[in-house]
Amino acid sequence: MSFAFGPESIRVRDLRKVYRVHEREAGLLASVRSLVRRRWREIPAVDGITFSVAPGEVVGFLGPNGAGKTTTLKMLSGLLYPSSGELEVLGFVPWRREREFLRQIALVMGQRNQLAWDIPAIDSFELNRVIYRISRADFRRMLDELAELLELWPLLHKPIRNLSLGERMKCEIAAALLHQPKVLFLDEPTIGLDVTAQRRIRSFVAEYNRRYGATVLLTSHYMADVEALCRRVIVIHHGRLLYDGDLAGLVRSFSPHKLIEVEMEQGSPDLAGYGEVVSADEGRVTLRVPKHATAEVTARLLDEVPVTDLTVEDPPIEEVIEHVFSQEAR
Amino acid sequence: MLLKLLWSYFRIGVMNELAYRANFLVQMFQSLFSLGTSLAGLAVVFSQTSNLAGWRPAELVAVLGVYTLMGGVINLVIQPSMQRLMEDVRLGTLDFSLTKPVDSQVLESVQQVQIWRLADVAMGIVLLVLALGNLGTQVGPGEALVFGLMLLCGAAIVYSFWLMLATCSFWFVKVDNILVIFQTMYEAGRWPVTIYPGWLRFTLTFLVPVAFAITVPAEAVSGRLGWGTLVGAVALAAALVAFSRWFWLTGVRHYSGASA
Repeated sequence: MSFAFGPESIRVRDLRKVYRVHEREAGLLASVRSLVRRRWREIPAVDGITFSVAPGEVVGFLGPNGAGKTTTLKMLSGLLYPSSGELEVLGFVPWRREREFLRQIALVMGQRNQLAWDIPAIDSFELNRVIYRISRADFRRMLDELAELLELWPLLHKPIRNLSLGERMKCEIAAALLHQPKVLFLDEPTIGLDVTAQRRIRSFVAEYNRRYGATVLLTSHYMADVEALCRRVIVIHHGRLLYDGDLAGLVRSFSPHKLIEVEMEQGSPDLAGYGEVVSADEGRVTLRVPKHATAEVTARLLDEVPVTDLTVEDPPIEEVIEHVFSQEAR
Repeated sequence: MLLKLLWSYFRIGVMNELAYRANFLVQMFQSLFSLGTSLAGLAVVFSQTSNLAGWRPAELVAVLGVYTLMGGVINLVIQPSMQRLMEDVRLGTLDFSLTKPVDSQVLESVQQVQIWRLADVAMGIVLLVLALGNLGTQVGPGEALVFGLMLLCGAAIVYSFWLMLATCSFWFVKVDNILVIFQTMYEAGRWPVTIYPGWLRFTLTFLVPVAFAITVPAEAVSGRLGWGTLVGAVALAAALVAFSRWFWLTGVRHYSGASA
C-alpha cells in the first residue's frame, strides 16, 4: 500500500470485504450432502468504498443492518483483513496490528462487553493500565477526568454485574479511553440505553473529542446521536457509499419531498388537492409535496387559500434516511 | 510483561475469590477429598502387593504428587483461561483482546485465574516431599534441576495441547466436549502410564500427553529417567510450543478472514 503522506488520520480507498459463506439447504438429506460437498457463496459486505477522515473529525456511519458498517469498522480497527483496496489509519496498516497502532486506537462495541462480569470496573481499569503500559500518574489523572465527566465515582467499586446497562456502558467507554486513543471507533455505543444515558454518553463523546482532538467514527441507529455529534455523515447501503457530507446536505440530496406548513385564520379546509396531507389541526395543515413542485404549490396556496402564515421545511432526518434505505442502492 | 499480566490477573483472582468464602471451603474440601481417595486407592493396591509394575509405594506417592501439582497448575490458569478463550471466540469478545497492544496469545492464556487451585499445587508439593523422604534416595541439585525441567516441559506440553484444542474453536464453534475427554484422560495420570496396556499407554503418551505431564517428571524424581526420555520430553515440549503458536496464529488469521 502506498499513499502519499497526508494529514488524514483515516484513508480508505476502494475498500472491499467479501465473505465466503457456506450455503446450507433445508432438509436432512441436503444437510448430509453439504457435509461432503459444500457450496460456497460470496457475499460482498463492503463493496468498494472510498473516504478519508481528518484528525479531530467526528464522522457518523449510517446504514441499515447489514449495510457493512461494522465490517468497515472492524477493518479499520485491524480485526478484519480486507479482501481488496487500500486502508490506512494514523499511517498504519490496521490488519498488521502493530503495537504502536493498537496503543493509539480504541474500539467500543455497544453489544459486547470487555469488562469482566464479576469484578469491579476499577480492577479492569488497572488491568488496562498494565496492558497499555500507562504510568500510574497518567492513569490517575485520566481516571479522575473520566470519572468526573461520566460520573463514575459511585460505580467504580461495584462488580459490573450489579450495574445497570447505562452504567455499564459508561464504564466500558472509560475503560477504552484510559490510554487516550487518538482514534475512537464506536459501534452503536448507545444501543438499548434510556434517553438520559444516551444523552450523557453523547455529550461525553463530544467533550472527549473537544479536549483531546480525537478522531471519532460512530455508528448508531439513533439519529439523535448522529445529529448531536457528527457534522459529517457517511451513508453506506449494500456495502456501497451512498453519501458523504454534512447532515443538511444529506437531506437536500436525498429527500424528494418538502413539507409545507400552512396556518389559517379559522377552520381547516380540505387541502388534499395541493399535496399529501400529513396532519391537519384546527387552523394548521401540513402538506408533503414533491420537491420540484414546491414553488408552484406555494404560489397556488397563497393565491387560493386564506393563509396567515406559510413555512417550507425539509422533512425530519429519520424520514429521509428511511426513504434512502427503502430504496435499492444506486 | 507476561509476569506482570499474570500478576494482575492473579491479583484480580484473589480479590474476586475473597468475596466468596463458602466457595473457598468447598474448594478446599474438594481438594482434600480427591487427595484422600487417591491415597486410599494406593493403600488398597499396596495391601495386596509391594510393587506395581516395578513401582514401589513411595514412588507412586511421588506420581500422585506430580499429578496433584500439575493438575493444580492446569486448573489454576490453563484450563480456565482456555475455556474463556473458547467463549471469547463464540461471543466475539476476542475482538477486545486482538485490539490490545499485547500479544493476544499471552493475553488469552492468563486471563482467568482460579486461585484456590493453589491448594492443589501446595498439596502436590507436600506429597512430593513425603515421597522423597520415604524413598530414602538423596536428591542432589542435579536431580532437582532435571525434575524442575521435566515439570516445566510437562506444563508446556499440556499448555500447548490445551491451546491447540481451544484454537479449534476458530473453525468449530463448539469444542467443549473435547475438554471433557481431556479431563477423563488426565484422571488416568494418577497412575504411571507404564502400568497400562500398550494401546492406552500410546494414547496417554502421544494423543493426550499425560505421560509427559506426570509420569516423566515422576520418573525424574525417583531416579528412573533415562537420557532418551529426557531429551525426548524437551524436544517434544519445544516442538509443541512452536506448533501450537503457529496453529494459534493460523486460527487468528482465519478469524480475521486473512486466510480466505
